[in-house]
Amino acid sequence: MIILRYVKLPSENFEEFFNSLKRWGTVYAPVKQGNIYAFKRVDTLGEVSLNYTRTMLPPKKFFVRPKDTLLKLKNGRWEEIREVKKIVLFGVHSCDIHGLQILDKVYLNDPVDPYYKARRENTIIIGISCMPDEYCFCKSLGTHFAMHGFDLFLHELPDGWLVRVGSVKGHEIAWVNESLFEDVTEEDLKHFKEFEEKRSASFKKHLNKEGLADMLDLAFDSPVWKRYERICLGCGNCNMVCPTCRCYEVCDYWINAYEAVRVRRYDSCFMETHGLVAGGHNFRPTRLDRFRHRYYCKSYFDPSAGFNCVGCGRCDEFCPAKIEHVKVLDEVREALK
Amino acid sequence: MNPFQTYDARILEVKELTPREKLFTLRFVDPEINKEFTYKPGQFVIVDIRGFGEFPISLCSSPTRTGYFQLCVRRVGRMTKYMHTLKEGDIIGIRGPYGNGFPMEEMEGSNLLLVAGGLGMAPLRSVLWYALDSGKYEQIYLFYGTKSYEDILFRDEIIHLLKHGEAMNCRVKLAYEVESPSCIYLEKGFAPKVCKGVVTDLFRGEEFDVENTYALICGPPVMYKFVIKELLDRKLSPGRIYMTLERRMRCGIGKCGHCIVGTSTSIKYICKDGPVFTYWEALSTRGLI
Ligand SMILES: Cc1cc2nc3c(=O)[nH]c(=O)nc-3n(C[C@H](O)[C@H](O)[C@H](O)COP(=O)(O)OP(=O)(O)OC[C@H]3O[C@@H](n4cnc5c(N)ncnc54)[C@H](O)[C@@H]3O)c2cc1C
Ligand code: SF4
Ligand code: SF4
Ligand code: FES
Repeated sequence: MIILRYVKLPSENFEEFFNSLKRWGTVYAPVKQGNIYAFKRVDTLGEVSLNYTRTMLPPKKFFVRPKDTLLKLKNGRWEEIREVKKIVLFGVHSCDIHGLQILDKVYLNDPVDPYYKARRENTIIIGISCMPDEYCFCKSLGTHFAMHGFDLFLHELPDGWLVRVGSVKGHEIAWVNESLFEDVTEEDLKHFKEFEEKRSASFKKHLNKEGLADMLDLAFDSPVWKRYERICLGCGNCNMVCPTCRCYEVCDYWINAYEAVRVRRYDSCFMETHGLVAGGHNFRPTRLDRFRHRYYCKSYFDPSAGFNCVGCGRCDEFCPAKIEHVKVLDEVREALK
Repeated sequence: MNPFQTYDARILEVKELTPREKLFTLRFVDPEINKEFTYKPGQFVIVDIRGFGEFPISLCSSPTRTGYFQLCVRRVGRMTKYMHTLKEGDIIGIRGPYGNGFPMEEMEGSNLLLVAGGLGMAPLRSVLWYALDSGKYEQIYLFYGTKSYEDILFRDEIIHLLKHGEAMNCRVKLAYEVESPSCIYLEKGFAPKVCKGVVTDLFRGEEFDVENTYALICGPPVMYKFVIKELLDRKLSPGRIYMTLERRMRCGIGKCGHCIVGTSTSIKYICKDGPVFTYWEALSTRGLI
């Protein structure tokens, strides 16, 4: 059989296909943990939550780690620490695939971050279709469908999966498993279309992007920011869980009397130190400055990287103050009139 | 190549400029790196005190003088304090140069008006030397605002230029805030080029050919607004006003996100889109100054 851009994986072959993935690396997939989901190492298909909503930490944790040792000091010189493992990320949603592409624009741009690059190159991404919940607004941002950035993408069908092949590597994976796949039929296409239509109609949250960049810029002094300054706790959860937030701090510490390491770890623009420089000057001294900064950063349309928010809904779901991203932007727009 | 790797540089000389600032003259240990290391006035390097941390410092020497480079470091906190304990012969790590720097070529044949406040003198000294060495610029003005006589950075050079600058088409003016016998002595010797006041006072009585002048500003955040007002009052185009800006910086190469400034219509990274920006860019990117 010639593997084309689209093939079908019947339900009865799904498990075998899943098991075959191990040969390409350690498999990580969404797993339910209490009332949240997380990408975890899995051995069997049974552990995977196929219809998860969103993981708390997005897949960025595999590439830009919460805590990451970059260099190790030996005899006064830095040695590069770089152990790369081959991994397979199974069950990534389209918004998160878009999120990774935004990170790519930052970390793979000149000068290339070698740590990020090595991890990206050693990771296979297998996407999976999803149904939106009350937090999702990816459709408004066009990130509800991934055209690139995956190796294989599985779309749910009543009797299996319609598989899109997105890369040479994906093609190889399908090829090795040739016997598990079938040709896509007219019937499958009909089901695929029905699924997409149903999904499209299920979005409850929409972001009005029309002229948003200018409206927000004009609303720099909006009273809405002031109101939210009092609601927001400044905890920085929204940064930690966001697939496109990537600010990091660097610190050196000594692991024993002779060896030190240089480590980077996630930072958040909600922290007072984020804009603080020596001499005590702070470029974003108030919580209002910091709250607004995050919205501006997320709502910037970078001509080369696109919009900085992919509408995954994490910042809403994990905000202890129940602040809703879209609502804030709508209110800022509303207050301008 | 790992962009986070830093290269050994040996301290050739340490000179105390003021009680707070020291001038470090450095050279890379590896002669190959030394040869390849070129930079533009306005660019900066990241200094690496291995095992303690990194911090950005402007290059204050000029690329017209090869074989070494200089950093003027103010002691303000943890790392700069450590740096101040270093001696001739000690080795530190350096990576860079980073940032865009001033467009020295574009400005050739024009007048340069350098406006420095405090430590802002460091990057502008690079421009000053470059301009004097290359001889490719018309008139050079340096307006320098300092707290007191003791705080004047590169004091010997400044006094030398106060004395002999005109012969090199370089007019230096100095404003000080705290009166002292030394300042009064300077003022007597060089009036009206030296006066008590702030840097904007130095504009009094000065006319510039605005069609043919570029202003280059560096100083503490509060200084920019006042200096820019003086320049705009004289109808200097926002595209001819260059400023070098400071932010917290972790990486210097557009990754760590700390230096991001702007709003939904324009986001800039101070480290890679700057640190030199025109006033026009400041008008179109909120929060830049
Ligand atoms: C482009 C650029 C050029 C600079 N040029 C010079 C120069 O020529 N001479 C000079 O003396 N200083 C310069 N600075 C400021 C210098 O980087 C800070 O004074 C220095 O980082 C302070 O470190 P510290 O550990 O001594 O201070 P602390 O107050 O102990 O700093 C704590 C932490 O905050 C970070 N930090 C504090 N202030 C700054 C800052 N302004 N920028 C970036 N990170 C900061 C430091 O990395 C440090 O780890 C420049 C800064 C920038 C951004
Ligand atoms: S800002 Fe919120 S919705 Fe947008 S990508 Fe980040 S976490 Fe997701
Ligand atoms: S998660 Fe919510 S409360 Fe916490 S910093 Fe973000 S907006 Fe504020
Ligand atoms: S200093 Fe890290 S992004 Fe500019």
